[in-house]
Amino acid sequence: MTGSTSTDEACVAIRAVDLIKTYGTKVAPVEALRGVSLEIEAGERIALLGKSGSGKSTLLNLLGGLDHASSGGLHVGGHDLDQLSRRDLARFRSATVGMIFQSFNLIYSRTSIENVELPMVFAGRPPRERRESARAALESVGLADRLNHRPNQMSGGENQRVAVARALVNRPKVVLADEPTGNLDSQTARDVMGLILDHVRRHNATLVLVTHDEELAATCTDRVVRLKDGRLVS
Amino acid sequence: MRLTDLLVMPVASLGQQKLRTMLTTLGVIFGAFVLAASLSIKEGVQETIDRESRKNDYSRKVTVFPKWDVVGSKPVSEVIVDGTMSPGRRERIRKALEEQERSKDAKRTRLDLSKERLEKLAGLPHVQQVIPIIHDGGLVLLGTRPEGVSLDSGSPEDDAFLKRIIAGRGFLAPDERGVLVSELLAYRLGIVNDFDLQQLIGRPLRLELQGRSSSPGFSVSISRRASGGDREEHIALEQVAAQLPAALDRFDLTEEEVEALRKAIRPGPVVESGVISEDFPVVGVYRRKNEEEFKGNRGSSQADISVVLPYLTAADLYFREPGRREQGIDQAVLLVDEELNVKDVARQVEGLGLDARAAIEFIERERLIYDLIFGGMTCVAGVALLVSALGIANTMLMSVLERQREIGIMKAVGADNRHLQFIFIIEGGLIGLVGAAVGLLLAYCASFPADTWVRSMIMRDIKMELKGSIFVFPPWIGATVFAFTVLVTTLAAYYPSRHAARVDPVTALRHE
Repeated sequence: MTGSTSTDEACVAIRAVDLIKTYGTKVAPVEALRGVSLEIEAGERIALLGKSGSGKSTLLNLLGGLDHASSGGLHVGGHDLDQLSRRDLARFRSATVGMIFQSFNLIYSRTSIENVELPMVFAGRPPRERRESARAALESVGLADRLNHRPNQMSGGENQRVAVARALVNRPKVVLADEPTGNLDSQTARDVMGLILDHVRRHNATLVLVTHDEELAATCTDRVVRLKDGRLVS
Repeated sequence: MRLTDLLVMPVASLGQQKLRTMLTTLGVIFGAFVLAASLSIKEGVQETIDRESRKNDYSRKVTVFPKWDVVGSKPVSEVIVDGTMSPGRRERIRKALEEQERSKDAKRTRLDLSKERLEKLAGLPHVQQVIPIIHDGGLVLLGTRPEGVSLDSGSPEDDAFLKRIIAGRGFLAPDERGVLVSELLAYRLGIVNDFDLQQLIGRPLRLELQGRSSSPGFSVSISRRASGGDREEHIALEQVAAQLPAALDRFDLTEEEVEALRKAIRPGPVVESGVISEDFPVVGVYRRKNEEEFKGNRGSSQADISVVLPYLTAADLYFREPGRREQGIDQAVLLVDEELNVKDVARQVEGLGLDARAAIEFIERERLIYDLIFGGMTCVAGVALLVSALGIANTMLMSVLERQREIGIMKAVGADNRHLQFIFIIEGGLIGLVGAAVGLLLAYCASFPADTWVRSMIMRDIKMELKGSIFVFPPWIGATVFAFTVLVTTLAAYYPSRHAARVDPVTALRHE
């Protein structure tokens, strides 16, 4: 489906058209993405594969609204990201997408329940309500007994489960996972992927999984998209 | 984002860096402390000056004196200054010689404080009261026992003087026909025992003022430490003075010296003089001033052998004697309705050709000096706070750099730039709030020992007991310290907060 367009707009979760992202200075530009076009249907699970520096993480950051494309069009979860104001973009990151990182990206001074609450804090949800949601999210990833532990008091697998709970607590339409199992042993990696896939299935969410692991890509996703030097190759 | 979260998150952030937060806040506490202390002492000293100057209506008084003037000086011919000298020196010498020449023929005249002028002063706008100050000499007789005394006028409202009364009472009105006698005079009059002092109250005391001729002549007195002298001595001295003009030839003087003295005492218009006497009941006995009263108080009699009459009664007696009526009194005090009008009244008095001195000018100079000193202190406090603000800006900027990853995570999960900016600004504001509160509290607590110390110094050096505190903390000082400190620290946090808001989440998430 690379490069193809769907006629049913409601079914499309992500549509990228000729995305270009250039870093660096005018004198020494670095082209991270060189005209990527991609369409992903709602509920579809795709894997982004490619070598280091191929543009996988850059594309994921654009899809998550953390970065802006130098040119091209990008629609995610029904939002044209170019048209969103800064405030709307922040709301989009909080409500529409859930991001999971290889290095967990938890705040070390906060407990696991406080970390999970964070997206709801910025969304302005009442304390009692968000506390309940955070507790339920942590229970669902098997961390009912780690609510008040800080990241440095937990294992890598537990931290990644907290990160998964934080990404999924607002029930996002799109889940963006950047090598979520890269730092985990195989058993823990399977557990974490199981949690993500379970959420995706139950809520008909779209999953974009960045990974180097061909087997993981094959078993956990519907489609594999390969990137090379900033271009889609399959 | 909810308001409570906007407050809770900065508190949590500050709590993560306890030592750094504490050190930053200490700087702010110091600044707020100095600011609060300097504002407090400024206000307290001003209040103390006002309070002390209002004692006995000191600040509302204008003291009036007769004025000496030079009249009748003739124009002088141009003075030639010989020699080679600079133009400046020549001009100075020429002026001095010219003044000398002019003063040879000049006549000094005195614009007296006569009864009529006192009435004129009483009619000036804003003048509430005219208090003639009488200080004269006379004789008193208790029964047949005479004693030379000094006569002073007193006021029924003179609290400092009322404190010195040891028997009887003070005056009831300024025109009361009654007299207060000093304890030493009472002793000299034979009232020795404490019990007898009480017996003296109500007894009539005859007061005599010897006539004072306004014609020029010799005045003879005996030089000695103690004042007074008995009646016979006075009469004998007057006889000596009367016979002196005729006896000038008998002294070992040159003809020129005799002629100069005769010229000086050549009689002018004759003014009738005589002895004025009246009986006054003794209403009280007063003690001499103690050491502290000599240092600390103003305006009441200091003579040991003296009598005091209410000022209107004293003036009435004084002006009944023709010689004194002609000469007028040496001093009068005008009580002005409001402090604001004192300068205006002083100007009017000077307009009448009299000398006027108002304590308000001195008080205002004092106020100005203290304003300048404490204004300077407040500036120092302001600088201290600004230095603290720079510390805050630096610390928070460091904090932003250290928390880049955290900021990136917050942005990734939905934080808006505004949220992050608010969080850092509120952190600055909270530091200011806590710093102001603790600084103010410390200044308030420190004011008690400081006040005690300052009081002990004032008591030791000028023997003066102050009523109120040197430090005052009206609500506006608290409000100013809070507002200024929080404003400064919030402004200090502004730049770091902008920096935080501009953090690129992608870069920040890569930050280790």
